[in-house]
Amino acid sequence: MSGLASLRRLMWVGLTLLSHYRRHPAQTAFLIIGLVTGVGIWSAVQIINSHARASYAEADQVLGAQASHWVRASDGGGVDPDAYIQLRRAGFTQLYPVIETRVATDAGEPLWLIATDLLALPRSEGSIDASGAGWLAMIQPPYQTWYPPELAESLGVAPGDTLTLSDGRTLPPAVPQSQQQQGRRLFMDIGAALDVLDRDRFSYLAAAGLDADTARELEAALPSGLRLEPNRQRLDLNQLTESLHTNLTAMSLLSFAVGLFIVFNAVRYALLSRSPTFHTLRELGASGRQLSFAILLETGVWSLIGTGLGLAVGFGLSQVLLPPLAATLQSLYGAVVGADILLRPSTWLLAWGITLAGLVFALAMPLWQESRQSVRAARDLSDRWVRDRTARRRLAWVGLILALAAGAVYSQMTTVLVGFVVLGLALFAAAFCLPVVLGAVLGWTLRALPEKAWQLRWAFSDGGAQLPTLRIAMMALLLALTANLGVETLVGSFRTALTDWLDQRLAADLYLQRDSLTREELNLPADADWLAASHQRVGLDIRWRGRPTEVRGLEPEAPDSRALPLADSSNELSLWYVWDTDNPVILANEQVRHLAGVESGQTITLSTGLGDRSFEIVGFVHDYGNPYYQFYLPRGEVERLWPGRAEPQGLALWLSDRPDAEASAEAALLAAGAQAGDWIRQAQIKTVSLRIFDRTFAITAAMNGLTLGVAGLALLTALLAIHQQRLPDYAHWRSLGVRYREMGRVLTLPLAVIVLLTWLASMPLGALLSWLLIHDLNVLAFGWTMALDWDWAPAIRLGLLTAGVVAAALAVSLWRLHRQLPEALRRLGGQS
Amino acid sequence: MLQLIDLHKTFDQPTGRITVLGGIDFHLEAGQSAALLGESGSGKSTLLHLAAGLDHPDHGDIKINGQSTRHHTEADWAEQRRNHISLVFQQFHLIPTLTVLDNVRLQARLCGRMDPDYEHQLLNRLGLATLTHRLPHQLSGGQQQRVAIARALLHRPPLVLADEPTGNLDEHSSESVMALFVDLVREAGCTLLMVTHSAAMAAYLDQRWRLHDGTLSREGEVA
Ligand SMILES: Nc1ncnc2c1ncn2[C@@H]1O[C@H](COP(=O)(O)OP(=O)(O)OP(=O)(O)O)[C@@H](O)[C@H]1O
Ligand SMILES: [Mg+2]
Repeated sequence: MSGLASLRRLMWVGLTLLSHYRRHPAQTAFLIIGLVTGVGIWSAVQIINSHARASYAEADQVLGAQASHWVRASDGGGVDPDAYIQLRRAGFTQLYPVIETRVATDAGEPLWLIATDLLALPRSEGSIDASGAGWLAMIQPPYQTWYPPELAESLGVAPGDTLTLSDGRTLPPAVPQSQQQQGRRLFMDIGAALDVLDRDRFSYLAAAGLDADTARELEAALPSGLRLEPNRQRLDLNQLTESLHTNLTAMSLLSFAVGLFIVFNAVRYALLSRSPTFHTLRELGASGRQLSFAILLETGVWSLIGTGLGLAVGFGLSQVLLPPLAATLQSLYGAVVGADILLRPSTWLLAWGITLAGLVFALAMPLWQESRQSVRAARDLSDRWVRDRTARRRLAWVGLILALAAGAVYSQMTTVLVGFVVLGLALFAAAFCLPVVLGAVLGWTLRALPEKAWQLRWAFSDGGAQLPTLRIAMMALLLALTANLGVETLVGSFRTALTDWLDQRLAADLYLQRDSLTREELNLPADADWLAASHQRVGLDIRWRGRPTEVRGLEPEAPDSRALPLADSSNELSLWYVWDTDNPVILANEQVRHLAGVESGQTITLSTGLGDRSFEIVGFVHDYGNPYYQFYLPRGEVERLWPGRAEPQGLALWLSDRPDAEASAEAALLAAGAQAGDWIRQAQIKTVSLRIFDRTFAITAAMNGLTLGVAGLALLTALLAIHQQRLPDYAHWRSLGVRYREMGRVLTLPLAVIVLLTWLASMPLGALLSWLLIHDLNVLAFGWTMALDWDWAPAIRLGLLTAGVVAAALAVSLWRLHRQLPEALRRLGGQS
Repeated sequence: MLQLIDLHKTFDQPTGRITVLGGIDFHLEAGQSAALLGESGSGKSTLLHLAAGLDHPDHGDIKINGQSTRHHTEADWAEQRRNHISLVFQQFHLIPTLTVLDNVRLQARLCGRMDPDYEHQLLNRLGLATLTHRLPHQLSGGQQQRVAIARALLHRPPLVLADEPTGNLDEHSSESVMALFVDLVREAGCTLLMVTHSAAMAAYLDQRWRLHDGTLSREGEVA
């Protein structure tokens, strides 16, 4: 019975506390906005991350959810169809052939093409519907190419159309086929692929459901040159894309933190105005424990509301964010992400957990403190701004400790995750130190102002009264500005590096893209007066240290080989140009250095067609945007070491400076059997490359915009809170006859100074952040190095944007103030 | 100086509409002082608010210096207060971030009527001379009230409206502060209308008016 009574009492306390929100819709709105934006952005990223991961798994299912193993050529070349037939005859019917290749449309749009033998496909892989007449049409000339409908639409391909590739080949007629697992890949029959792509080998054989014994038997039965390996495609994709997902998660957590700032602000404000309620409840005999319970109840209610609404918003937001992310994944990794998003219970639970944790931090802590506080502090708000000085100093100490921690962890930074921890610590250290700096600058200015400038002095002293509420918003703004500047500088530096690199790497005037048209086949006259130089590259894909790896054969005397974009000037490149068979040397892309941890002068081993071979690394080359390891050898060496495996990788032509060189070149190419469209001009490739780059970073821009938007909201809520809270003060000013213009000046000036200081502080911090991102995190994540390219334009743009946001927030807030003032004047001198 | 003509004011309350002021006529000559008495809830503060333009009557007119305010906008009232009316409330309403000196000078600065000699005299008489660089939260309640008084008088406004200016202080300090206040107002030549509950305080002023059932009558003059 007494249990029931105390429960009823608890409910009463809880409801009394909650009733506050019903009577103060503005505060409720702030709280909800903070929760929803924070949870929304975070969960949006969470949803698309898990969605992308699910898509990788699905991508495998096209040809091998159960493909436990692959049979590949040890030298990285393809598998001979004869070997396949032999193995199947030997009873290994689990095997089916796969051709998987990356092609490009003649517009330069990259595509993945995948082909298999539908007859050989095990029943368990029944994900591809190949029944009846559709199947026959597929395996007989003129064959069919299956397009996922969205892809066909985005490429402008109608049913029956034949798509022309950049190498001049034409794909079989298009059939839109909705295959869930297909993602953005084109699908063909394997015979058609061999025919159309003019290949004589499969990429690999897949084996579904091999048990350990059969695997051993198969391994024994493999002809020499073939090797059985576990399916690693999914592993590869997960490994390759992990950095990107970590990146996104970090950015979303930042938004969440900024959202929490809004919540924190709203809660503190709700608290302040509820102090009397607490006081009254204590007086009415509610025990400390009951109050704590009630607070817990309140936290729970808010966390449920925040999670529910936040997830709804996050779900919508993820639909908006998915296309740029899909573009990034596609152009960076060739990873395919489907368009349909699902909300998993695990996301739901995680979102709720994190919201609850955030709320406990933002709401329960101060509420609990309040419930224990003595009666004294509750009523008196007038000297809050003085007490805030102590609070600011305490924050700064926390900031210093965070900074020290950041320094300590920095020296131990070995993974991307730890890198983000350092970034987070550094950012929050700065944010925590900001209020003390703002307070100090306001104080110094106030003291420096002459007696006569009384309005200015009034304004600056008023800054002290605004700071307690503003400081949290300013911390949020600093975080958002810094993140924006840091990431923009990273992207800008990357773009500069990429442009320079493209200039260096794409030195030739024309590139012949059709792989089958080699210099030898074209039989171009060596003494043609339009031709200054040429470079026929060859290459093949192998595996090295468990990751897909590209081997490229360059002609050492070609102009672009002579000017390879080196990552480090100390490299002994000259060794590479003068080939010494007794002392074989190799160049690598810098991913090899930073991700595999190999240094110049060390020896690496590659498995070649002639067995394992060792090479000394003599230099590293910038290779932006490539997730794979890449090694460079002279073309002759590649062809010698992987006989018959090296494929042509395009022909580069340098034109002489004769005025009609280009026309002559095109005439000569046509005469030699090339078709218009087989070659592409340098400028075109650069344009396509930069377009892909920009698309890749679209997601970053979107996240940046969101974070700044949330900070803007934090500012708006802070201003509204300040003005709401100080309304009696302002009414009093008005009763003294202070004009609105003067009032506006007193309120706006310190705000402007505070925002200006925050913006100024964001610049060195943004520079530091971008330095960490470029110098450390980017290297850890992608293995690319580049120079930091500081640009004032983003800083100024952000400054203007912030000014706009502040002006808008201030306008809204002052307008509300103006409307509420008459009522406040009427209450002036009243008892409450 | 201050003339109230047939003022009416009603308020809507949950229990229905109540008439607080039901036709108030009142006249106060320049330099005179009047006490406004009445039970709690009789409408004293309401009347003072109307006189200062903080709220507006349903009907009637307020003349200040013989000029009607019937068509005053909110901004006109603000200018009126800035230049001609000082308000002193029970809450002292000091600006917490400004020093005592800046608080005292605030309204004189606003209307541009600074007077260093008078300022010196005021600060000394009110016992604030040694406190000028303190902040309001570093003062006692009585000291804060004296700052509010100094601020209200430094520019010698024609009209001073005070609403229970000592309500927050104990009786002893309240009486001495009030006596000083009334002396200073008289010396400055200001007109004063003051709400008070204290008969002793009221006796100190030139006239006494009582508000009852929405009507105002002069004490000692039986209607
Ligand atoms: N804004 C308002 N809305 C509704 N009723 C109001 C409002 N302001 C005042 N009242 C009512 O008008 C009446 C007069 O209030 P007023 O504050 O003028 O009284 P008072 O004489 O100053 O009382 P006290 O001596 O307690 O200060 C009271 O009944 C009060 O409840
Ligand atoms: Mg009153």
